[in-house]
Amino acid sequence: MTGTRWDVIVVGGGHAGCEAAAAAARLGCRTLLVTSEPSALGRMSCNPAIGGLAKGQVVREVDALGGLMGLAADRTGIQFKVLNASRGPAVRGLRCQSDKALYSAEVARLVAGLPGLEVARGTVAALSVESGRLAGLVLEDGSELACGAAVLTSGTFLRGLVHVGDRRSEAGRWGEPPAVSLSGALQGLGLRLGRMKTGTPPRVRRDSLDFARMQRAPGDPSPSAFSYRSRGERFPALPQVDCHLTHTNARVHELIRRSLHLSPLYSGAIVGRGPRYCPSIEDKVVRFAERERHQVFVEPEGLSTDWTYLNGLSMSLPPDVQEAIVRAIPGLERAEILRPAYAVEYDMVYPEQLDDTLQTRALPGLFLAGQINGTSGYEEAAGQGVVAGVNAGIACGRVAKPPFVLGRAEAYIGVMVDDLVTLGTEEPYRLLTSRAEHRLLLSADSAYARLTPKAIAWGLMSEAEAAPILQREERVARLSRALEEARLCPDAGTVARLGGAGIALSEETTLAGLLRRPELPAERLLPFLEELVPGAGRDREELERVQGDLRYAAFLERERETARRLAVAGGRRIPEDFPYRGQPGLSAEAVEKLERHRPRTIGQAGRIPGVTPAAVALLLARLTLRGRQASS
Amino acid sequence: MRALVADPDDSQDVIVAPATPPGVSAVAVLRLSGPAGRALAVARRLAPQLPERPPPREALLCRLVADGREVDEALVLFFPAPRSSTGEEVVELHPHGSPAIVEALLAAAREAGARPARPGEFTRRALAHGKLDLAQAEGIAALAAAEDRGVARRAFGLVQGELTRRVTAVREELLDALAELEATLDFPEDMGLRDAAGTAGRLFELKRILLELLAGSAGAPAERRPVVVLAGRPNAGKSTLFNALLGRDRVIVTPVPGTTRDAVAETVRIGERSVRLVDTAGLRSTDDQVERIGVDVARRAAAGADLLLYLVDGRAPASEEDVAALETLRPAVVVRTKSDLWGGGEEGLAVSAETGEGMDALRRLVAERLSGTECEGELPALERHRQALAAAAEALAEAAALSEEPLMAAALRRALHALGEITGETASEELLDRIFARFCIGK
Repeated sequence: MTGTRWDVIVVGGGHAGCEAAAAAARLGCRTLLVTSEPSALGRMSCNPAIGGLAKGQVVREVDALGGLMGLAADRTGIQFKVLNASRGPAVRGLRCQSDKALYSAEVARLVAGLPGLEVARGTVAALSVESGRLAGLVLEDGSELACGAAVLTSGTFLRGLVHVGDRRSEAGRWGEPPAVSLSGALQGLGLRLGRMKTGTPPRVRRDSLDFARMQRAPGDPSPSAFSYRSRGERFPALPQVDCHLTHTNARVHELIRRSLHLSPLYSGAIVGRGPRYCPSIEDKVVRFAERERHQVFVEPEGLSTDWTYLNGLSMSLPPDVQEAIVRAIPGLERAEILRPAYAVEYDMVYPEQLDDTLQTRALPGLFLAGQINGTSGYEEAAGQGVVAGVNAGIACGRVAKPPFVLGRAEAYIGVMVDDLVTLGTEEPYRLLTSRAEHRLLLSADSAYARLTPKAIAWGLMSEAEAAPILQREERVARLSRALEEARLCPDAGTVARLGGAGIALSEETTLAGLLRRPELPAERLLPFLEELVPGAGRDREELERVQGDLRYAAFLERERETARRLAVAGGRRIPEDFPYRGQPGLSAEAVEKLERHRPRTIGQAGRIPGVTPAAVALLLARLTLRGRQASS
Repeated sequence: MRALVADPDDSQDVIVAPATPPGVSAVAVLRLSGPAGRALAVARRLAPQLPERPPPREALLCRLVADGREVDEALVLFFPAPRSSTGEEVVELHPHGSPAIVEALLAAAREAGARPARPGEFTRRALAHGKLDLAQAEGIAALAAAEDRGVARRAFGLVQGELTRRVTAVREELLDALAELEATLDFPEDMGLRDAAGTAGRLFELKRILLELLAGSAGAPAERRPVVVLAGRPNAGKSTLFNALLGRDRVIVTPVPGTTRDAVAETVRIGERSVRLVDTAGLRSTDDQVERIGVDVARRAAAGADLLLYLVDGRAPASEEDVAALETLRPAVVVRTKSDLWGGGEEGLAVSAETGEGMDALRRLVAERLSGTECEGELPALERHRQALAAAAEALAEAAALSEEPLMAAALRRALHALGEITGETASEELLDRIFARFCIGK
């Protein structure tokens, strides 16, 4: 291991690390994944689930780029559900409960199957620098690893501190030692670090729960899969299970309020900022005091384990208080806590110190991805992992391609990376559909059309691998055209037949026209579809895709137009060495921010807090003037 | 080879320009703006009596020096950053309004290191320092160009930010509505069912407000002044009346009919309005080629008038030629002139340019007739503002009519984007160019 010069070394085997390593390997880089615990690849620290609102879209995007998460989730999913199902394709999010142990094993298996990728045990303590570039990594045991580029994905492990009540222990995750030296090494490069916190709820034993007192929450009867590759396999592969729903009550809230002084969050012992949208139960009770109950989802962590996850109940109160609280909840009166809820505090690197390829400006060759950048969520980590992995492959010289940057109208991953490096973040960043101003264009359905061509262009997927995806896109387009051409005349016979199915027809239209009607589900049209366009109903998912495309065509086209216009205005590139300090009329604050962030485009510049629209307009005018002068 | 324009690192320059128009006046205003300390340094070269730290915003009487000589004694005002018109350090000098003095001071300022300001540069700096938003900056342009009080009042309203205030209020509500929609989409379990009817109602209400703003907004400040044409047969007294309205002898008046060969136009204030008054050749058939051209010009001027005053010599009853002429012209107000020579009192408007009799009534009538040519609105807005309001209203109507939240949200964002074009949150280069193209130096 130490003798080789690696192209790319990925530090950390979590969701970001595995995607980064896999991406680099797929591009032909000699890749090493270094982790403190090789058996913990792809381990889910918290929620035993993949996907959800916005996150489900990211899993698709990772899959469209040839990543691992979608496939691993499909193969080990024990419940699948589409959220926001009734609200239109733009906001539908696929989510699955996973068997944690099997998921981790599947990720490890996929990683092991990649040629050019090796996994090794080790904890990185320092970085070696040569001529202002990253030259390699030094492990805690002293061994040195040479590399062309590295991706750090340390998750919650940098100087991780676990809090349960007032008991603190150094750990990156329960029972796993933290990385202690790396923070110092990063600070030594001049990087500014922050401290964040995240919490996880108690795990209880399934046999000690009374499900009769809870509401049943089953999955979708005909589940959809994340990955296109799952179509060739038995899906779902595993038996499907139910989750259950219960809730807190006044007694629970009272208990919590009385114990707040014991909570390190409120006693000030925890310094790190927590996420606004995933608050601990202490947070919820304090901030939303008028709510009489908060939901608690009871989720199994696997098929062959009785560990059960209480979603919505993350807290850092002492174990005895936790027990009292849990037992005050309907259905959990005799629950046995297998592991208490805890909070983990960790170092992160303020992401505005990265450029849009996730490379640190402080040290060329060093990339950061995942929770270390201040995000929370497995999916957010995975998306960043792909971006960092590809760009590390380019940086080390092995891959002769332009930088891999996704735009805000191209992918949620693009929105996320742009938000992080342009705006920075003070609290754990989580993806929401509302973060995407072009949300209509980023539906899960369109991920392949958007990103697979890019995957092919950068070499993440071969044309052969991508063939089934592109063929399906072609089929959808053909089906759409066929439906547009299938005319229906309101003659007596047709009207009667359609009327029998509850479909009104008063003027000539096409099958596509009928499908456009918002109140008409595709199922009702199925028999007629089959008659006029044989094979139309063969693939339900494809038909739904077509229906969605037809219904939203006008809106999508307009959104594309808006995105195009904004891209033109905002896409104007700013030269690397643009002298902000010398520009007429820029305020001191704007200059400081622009110099710190070094935006690549006018659009990015405008999103930096502290840079006013007037400043952007002046910049634009200045760039134009320069352009004219240069050409004269 | 064309000399390259030096890439000026000129944000640190001290700029100077007169703020008053050229010409003779009682007082002229010279403004200097620049980084702290530097504008003052230039000013102290021009006004050596200025102390090193002048009291802010206090008028100080100082001797002004240029080219080694004392040229004037005038008030000087010092505005330390950021409380100044540009947000930078500003010094104003108020010398006597002699072009020679102003020129000398400008030269001295240049000598002292200041640079003549480019068109609109003062306002650009104010914009950059957040002293103005875009709508206000445009208001200043309009105010500076305003020649009649109506326009000035509207432009001043723009500067004061009236439009911005009203639009901002609507934006705030839209942001709330959008936030609620987004919360419903991203946190369905926490939000429960959306009050769809309530949201639609709110959006309709906001659309109504925008349409009200649109309806109540004045059109583009009337850059084109209304045209009043004096027409009539030769010797009807047009030129005399013209001169009288102008208050000075602009056109040649002789008893010889056919004196005026050309159309002569002048700007004159009538009542509150600034008006283009046009004197024309007397309408008659003639063999004189030059005169004939003049008659053609007169007819065309009459056709293009906002108000046509047909003058008839009050001493003679309306002749056949007058009647014929009136029939070929657009509707006109008949004015009987030279009332001092025939006693006046007849029906119709009777004036005497000589004695001034009936002139006030004539002015009132003109003002009254022209009041339809400007939209008397409450809210000052430019054409692009009106377009933005219309676009926003349309987007809101769409949002209210949709039932799917993501589509509603997209429509609301479009509305917000359109409203942002008024306040400058969504400024674009082309927009800025258009705005600043209207400025003149010193503003």
